[in-house]
Amino acid sequence: MILVTGGCFQGKKDYACETFHIARKDAVDGADCPLEAIFDVKLLYHFHEYIRRLMQAKEELDLDRLQRENPDIVLVTNELGYGVVPVDQFDRAYREKTGRVCCEIAKRADEVHRVVCGIGTVIRHD
Amino acid sequence: MLIVVTGGSGSGKSEYAESLVLRLAKGPKLYIATMYPFDEESHQRIARHRRMRKGKGFDTLELYTGLKNADISGYDTALLECMSNLCANEMYQENGAGARSAEEILDGVRQIYGQCRHLIIVTNEIFSDGIDYDPETVRYQRCLGEINRRLAKMADLVVEVVYSIPLIHKGSLPEISTAGLTEAFALPGHKGE
Repeated sequence: MILVTGGCFQGKKDYACETFHIARKDAVDGADCPLEAIFDVKLLYHFHEYIRRLMQAKEELDLDRLQRENPDIVLVTNELGYGVVPVDQFDRAYREKTGRVCCEIAKRADEVHRVVCGIGTVIRHD
Repeated sequence: MLIVVTGGSGSGKSEYAESLVLRLAKGPKLYIATMYPFDEESHQRIARHRRMRKGKGFDTLELYTGLKNADISGYDTALLECMSNLCANEMYQENGAGARSAEEILDGVRQIYGQCRHLIIVTNEIFSDGIDYDPETVRYQRCLGEINRRLAKMADLVVEVVYSIPLIHKGSLPEISTAGLTEAFALPGHKGE
């Protein structure tokens, strides 16, 4: 698994497609793909939106299954949590959940990249 | 050694700060808890942190305001968690320092750091989500931002944690090998004052 994170509008998806040689058509939008898609796509972007949808559906992401069935997936996520605590309860839970899931993925991932201004920095690799 | 650990919400900075304490401490360890339990959610957060610390041998000091009056003598290493709560407490609680919050807190840090060998302070990045907050919240951001900048100047080591990965912005910690190749890829930062 590879995790690519960074702020919004930083060119994360372009960076990921180029760096990992993935065609744009193989990049799937986590904001509107079927929830099962994550287990066989090459790259899923808007992963934070995917987590929001899972929460709304009251489902959990099975990371063991993801690692088993799709070990080469590239997950592209916005780096959340750099603001003041949100007023809305769901927003707070969503930002917390995204953080915890991404921590767990970062620990399991082969590589973690962080993109700022379109430029990626490898912040972890095995 | 004075260490500042920062990061976003849910980034794993607490867990990392605790691991630093466990690796550095050669004597009694103190956890200075600053979150005021005002509702069910804060109780839950506090309970989660207690579970995380369990078995790691920390004593706990609950401290909501007045850091500079704290007596932590006898402790080798202290972990203050977290600055964003302490700052809010000082600014908004009745017995807090109000407009003098930044000064009082930094005085407090100097006071308690004078009593122990290592002090690790967890703070928070609340500065870059692009939302226009109300003036009161902006005042809070400004105060915490000032505290963070001045703490970083005093600190030997400043680490930002990104989804559990430590990135070193200032200083180095050769006796602590950070996970994997992190140090080699650490972002270039200010190398000391």
